[in-house]
Amino acid sequence: MPALAARLADVAVSASVTMTVRARALRAAGHRVISLAIGEPDFDTPPHAVEAAHQAARAGDTHYPPQDGTPALKEAIRRKFARDNGLDYALDEIMVANGGKQIIANAFLATLDAGDEVVIPAPYWISYADQAKFAGGVPRFVACPQNNGFRLRAEDLEAAITPRTKWVVLNSPNNPSGAALGEGELCAIAEVIRRHPDLWVLSDDIYEHLIYDGFRFVTLAQVAPDLRERVLTVNGCSKAYAMTGWRVGFCGGPRALIRAMVNVQGQLTSGVCTVAQAAAAAALDGPQELVRQHAETYRRRRDLVVAMLNEAPGIACHRPEGAFYVYPSVAGLIGRTTPAGRRLETDLDVAMALLEEAHVAVVHGAAYGMSPYLRISYATDEDSLREACARIAAFCAALS
Amino acid sequence: MSLTAARLDRISPSQTIAISQKARALAAEGRDIISLSAGEPDFDTPQNVKRAAIAAIERGETKYTDVSGTRALREAVCAKFRRENGIEYAPDEVMVSTGGKQVIFNAMLATLDPGDEVIIPTPCWVSYPDIVSLAEGTPVFVACPQNNGFKLRAEDLEAAITPRTKWFILNNPCNPTGAAYSADDLKPLTDVLLRHPHVWVFTDDIYEHLAYDGFKPATVVQVEPRLKERTLTMNGCSKAYAMTGWRIGFCGGPKALIKAMDKLQSQSTSNTSSISQAAAVEALTGPQDFIAEMVAVYQERRDLVVAALNECPGIVCGKPEGAFYVFASIHGCLGKTSAGGRRIETDEDFVTALLEEEGVAAVHGTAFVAPGHMRISYATATEALREACARIKRFCEGLH
Repeated sequence: MPALAARLADVAVSASVTMTVRARALRAAGHRVISLAIGEPDFDTPPHAVEAAHQAARAGDTHYPPQDGTPALKEAIRRKFARDNGLDYALDEIMVANGGKQIIANAFLATLDAGDEVVIPAPYWISYADQAKFAGGVPRFVACPQNNGFRLRAEDLEAAITPRTKWVVLNSPNNPSGAALGEGELCAIAEVIRRHPDLWVLSDDIYEHLIYDGFRFVTLAQVAPDLRERVLTVNGCSKAYAMTGWRVGFCGGPRALIRAMVNVQGQLTSGVCTVAQAAAAAALDGPQELVRQHAETYRRRRDLVVAMLNEAPGIACHRPEGAFYVYPSVAGLIGRTTPAGRRLETDLDVAMALLEEAHVAVVHGAAYGMSPYLRISYATDEDSLREACARIAAFCAALS
Repeated sequence: MSLTAARLDRISPSQTIAISQKARALAAEGRDIISLSAGEPDFDTPQNVKRAAIAAIERGETKYTDVSGTRALREAVCAKFRRENGIEYAPDEVMVSTGGKQVIFNAMLATLDPGDEVIIPTPCWVSYPDIVSLAEGTPVFVACPQNNGFKLRAEDLEAAITPRTKWFILNNPCNPTGAAYSADDLKPLTDVLLRHPHVWVFTDDIYEHLAYDGFKPATVVQVEPRLKERTLTMNGCSKAYAMTGWRIGFCGGPKALIKAMDKLQSQSTSNTSSISQAAAVEALTGPQDFIAEMVAVYQERRDLVVAALNECPGIVCGKPEGAFYVFASIHGCLGKTSAGGRRIETDEDFVTALLEEEGVAAVHGTAFVAPGHMRISYATATEALREACARIKRFCEGLH
């Protein structure tokens, strides 16, 4: 075995994957495990997207696609950005990749030199930090405290920017906290960005459509058109259309950046599966009613989970604006002991004990850069959610 | 601050794409263009494979899979390696990626530190050196002379190995030359490799099934099982099953390396499309008659093209064992002037003039690190090939 490259040493295996693997093992051993660990809709892909995929496969649309996406899908993306976000991107300012994840990998590999800094508000999806490190960059985290609804404050962002900062990552609605930024907050952030003309902003809007109680989603390039030349607007089909397995992400951004990213993708994977691209175009152009129905279902589940978790002694759960996660504090559980004798020193201890003793899989907050919390995904049917929350409450009540 | 990272400056823009774009532009102007530049089968994906994809969609297999591929596909890959190559890999010694290209990307990015050397026989597919450069390694080219059928000689491999050598990449059958290695051809190379235990072997067998006149390409681990612990055996569905657009590549190798590559892929793209994976299971485990039928057609075309090119004054074309390319020397055409008055100093001048004056798109040898040649893909309808060869002949006869 040759030594692995230094760039890989710092890259972690995703914690949600680790929890999912352990949950699978317990299930295989005959336990009834409820998994609230995974970030994936439990709905099915819309029928018109499925039909478009059938047609593409049958019609022989199975040859190499262009590196940056099929013209049909890029047109659909252009319409999506205009319709949903008031953004006008030309076709050569748009690209398609294997999931939103590859958009980020392309962007960082195309732009980061060793030591360049990437500002990431915490709690955060771990892949931002790992991808930055993998590309030779240095993540700089900015805490978004619970008492501000886990939202990024402009002054904290300002304090984190240095002459080495190359990117600022925004993720609204946020994984794992569900926090979403309103127009006023984004305008304040835009003010900070304006003062630093040498940095780029990656706005990951993948949870855009999962937003509740009439909250209005906006994205940075929309509220600050003057920053358009420095903003990469990232989105995809996974969350809005329950298309995680198809692997279609996309972005709009300045032409020179897109060109560099296409160059990276040309060496990494080439274009995206043609059949999946046909499905994605149909999802974007087709009826959007399902998206609204799903959002309503998620809202009910969120309300259920927040209410039930706040009944559990030692847990304090904020009610977030969007996504399908809640991020409850478990500070009240730290230092306690489970009936099986496990001492809870960290949120990882809490998550492991919950899995082993209550058979509920969640992810610990340390995996998202803010402790002591848990990330709970409510992209699961209501009966399972109710049962899982009851188990969590019983687990908490039994601590000594 | 410069937009792009230094690593991007080390990648050359694809010369193959430049000529394809020019051909597309001329075709859009209404010119009658015959393209012999594409590296993809003109056959359609087999019906049983398309149906398997559609069935997977119907079953709702539209969710995230394991990063390294579904269990079903990994088992199908293990069975393929056992059946066709006599190699035993366990399911955790194989992984599935978005095309063979991502397998190479994963392997190089997971193992290369700055300055590590990778030996690449030339002529070569230019993505090998580009991906090595992207990973901050140093490509070391070793010429495979035309008078040796474009095959690598053991003494040349031996001379290229240094203490910094990390990988040796072998592409068998080879793009762009079509040269292929039998077990007897490989033995002297594997003997050299046995003497250098620090060198890893990457064998790209993507064209494995495309071999003619009963020739059997062998693969490294099959010929020398003692190299199994430091060989990555790569293959995929694109060429054998005409599935380029589905984006399925896979590999088998030592567990620790696969694990590192899996980690990397979990941060760059995650799993490849779940639907494409279902299609690949059917391709690998279903009826294989499709391949023999396709190979018979390719063989006929190869014979036609080789014979026709050798009638063109100034062109010398060997008859390769495999793939769907011929790699003809055009040295005899250099220094002349075309009928249209274009001066032909380089292979690029040659293919440009051929495209402009006769509407035939081929790729110049320089794009494969072998000046003085052109690559012709015969993955095109037989009638179009006949017409293209007639035009090339007329072009060569017009040189003065």
